[in-house]
Amino acid sequence: MERRTVKKGIRVLLARLGLDAHWRGSIVVAHALRDAGMEVIYIGNQMPKEIVETAIQEDVDIIGLSSLSGNHMILAPEVVKILREKGMRETPVVLGGTVPPDDIPRLKEAGIAGIFGPGSSLKEIIQFISALGKK
Amino acid sequence: MRPKRNLFNTESIDKIRKKGEKWQRQVYPTEKQRQEVFETLSGIPIEPIYSPTHLAEMDYLRDLGFPGEEPFVRGVHPTMYRGRTWTHRQLAGFGPPEETNKRYKFLLKQGATGINGVFDYPTLRGYDSTDPEAYADVGRGGVAIDTVEDMRILFDGIPLDHVSSSLVTCQPIGNISVQSMYFANAQAQEIPFSELRGTSQNDFLMETAVAIAPEVFPPRASFKFSCDAIEYCTKHVPRWNPVSFAGYNYREAGCTAVQEVAFVLANAMACSEELIKRGLEVDRFAPRLSFFFSGHSDFFEEIAKYRAARRIWYRMMKERFGAKDPRSLALRFHVQTAGFALTAQQPLNNIARAAYHALVLGGAQSVHIDAYDEALCTPTELSSLTALRTQQILQLETRVTHTIDPLGGSYFIESLTNQLEEKIVALLNEIEAMGGIVKSVEKGWIHKEISSAAYECQKAIESGEMPIVGVNCYKIEDEKLPVELFRVPETLEVQRAKLEKIKKERNSTNVQKALDTILHCCEKDGNLMEVVVEAVKAHVTEGEVTKMLKRFYGTWNPPLF
Repeated sequence: MERRTVKKGIRVLLARLGLDAHWRGSIVVAHALRDAGMEVIYIGNQMPKEIVETAIQEDVDIIGLSSLSGNHMILAPEVVKILREKGMRETPVVLGGTVPPDDIPRLKEAGIAGIFGPGSSLKEIIQFISALGKK
Repeated sequence: MRPKRNLFNTESIDKIRKKGEKWQRQVYPTEKQRQEVFETLSGIPIEPIYSPTHLAEMDYLRDLGFPGEEPFVRGVHPTMYRGRTWTHRQLAGFGPPEETNKRYKFLLKQGATGINGVFDYPTLRGYDSTDPEAYADVGRGGVAIDTVEDMRILFDGIPLDHVSSSLVTCQPIGNISVQSMYFANAQAQEIPFSELRGTSQNDFLMETAVAIAPEVFPPRASFKFSCDAIEYCTKHVPRWNPVSFAGYNYREAGCTAVQEVAFVLANAMACSEELIKRGLEVDRFAPRLSFFFSGHSDFFEEIAKYRAARRIWYRMMKERFGAKDPRSLALRFHVQTAGFALTAQQPLNNIARAAYHALVLGGAQSVHIDAYDEALCTPTELSSLTALRTQQILQLETRVTHTIDPLGGSYFIESLTNQLEEKIVALLNEIEAMGGIVKSVEKGWIHKEISSAAYECQKAIESGEMPIVGVNCYKIEDEKLPVELFRVPETLEVQRAKLEKIKKERNSTNVQKALDTILHCCEKDGNLMEVVVEAVKAHVTEGEVTKMLKRFYGTWNPPLF
């Protein structure tokens, strides 16, 4: 924790959920967040438990999840649930990928702070994460 | 070697050049251009007009020739679509095999001329449906396959000796089991291997560079699995295309057209070298190497890309590998319209988009047209049918099939073909200087190339430099989705029940023996397909094969970012 006494940029953990094979979205967002001055920890495909473990170890400010396989309704809420169980009540979780509009209310209810569907711009993602990170 | 014969005589070219230069100086600038720079999607500058001067150095017979003849630029078959049109091969796969079987039959009944079977994420990566990491992805993105029994169900009632099947087993680790199950299932039905026609994707870049995840197989191992399958089919399943170098997917991950072709050709070159090292003659395996390209949104560049790819392949096979069989020299390919170009916004626009992407003016052997809802979900029956009908309209109504390579000879297309060829060859040389494609993956070079290209592309979309209708222009605020979304049917429990039953009923001594044989095969660096085909007959599951191979080859963490 000591290394965080002087806070630099916002630390973001980016992970792809489960076995989803789509790569492009998360890697492009990783580039953009880094260019926007954030620290990005990109861990590729992981299950919720591992994502939360890494988030705690790395002491991140925000968790970004990517899913284009349709697994988001199962795994994204699981990440939030495990995160809260581990005592990280404040850490926001955002989700990007092919999320059908009908799923959005249920994901928000499950505690996902922001949802970025297909066609979302990097600009809006950066703005949203910057705002969350400053809180 | 015969002397070079230019297309046009020097005197004519000089006159045209002078007149053209005058036009560009005096006539063209009288009106303002609507943008400063015009270029292809991969960044090749486009001039206002093309003329014979751009082709002054071309030798028709050397550089273009006639269809079905060297250098195969104008087409790989003598008659092309005047003889047989392209295969209408629509992707299908979701849920348990029981459900996908119905979709296959529906598409065949509606006139599809081949099967294009896509598998769910666990199957692609060699996991059983019941694996602790799989539960959220079972049945998603494709059909779930765990054992040979699933393969039987998947193709139930479909004559394997009459329908050609493309298995979208993109990663060699998934391919080794799934392809083995396909063959084992055919054998159980007493269909000889010589009657089987189809393709498996089986591309090691898909495992190590494009769909990357932590703890995948090391590049050398993945490359070996891919070559094992090619070698096996060359020896036992002569009409099967054991690899389809998946440029399409490299493109989806972010590549430009130039990178797409350079990376597939570098991959095919490495496989060819390996197979020759294993003692196979080039003309034994090369006729069955096949390619898979994207049909993206830059209309002319895509057409030129296919033509350039054919010329480079021809030269590589002939000059480097000494191939003689015309089937080794001719590059055959499947096209899928670019999923990346589809939008979730105003999804019905995708019908028009995909139709432009599919216009088969580049000489594809088979085509999949994306369904309009693919940016949102797995295609519904209606969207799949609309995509299939788009193929049929293209084939039957537009008459683009009536002459071969209809854009051949266009000053622009020929010039673009030449420029693409030059850029692709330069990139191929760069990869070779690095030690080849496997090295370039191990070093993480290829990952950086693809991710930088993807990022640049996204920046161009954000700046509006690359217009996308409905996304960065002509948007509809608060749009109501005009389409019904597909929901994947329950899959995990269906698969779990079958797996439990099979594990209870199968002969465990035989299973253990089969797994031991796989391990021995690894130890003596034998061809793994030979033993996996036998193992799946004993109802060894896909996940069990993978675990055994991981035990021997270990895992690799690709450079992620």
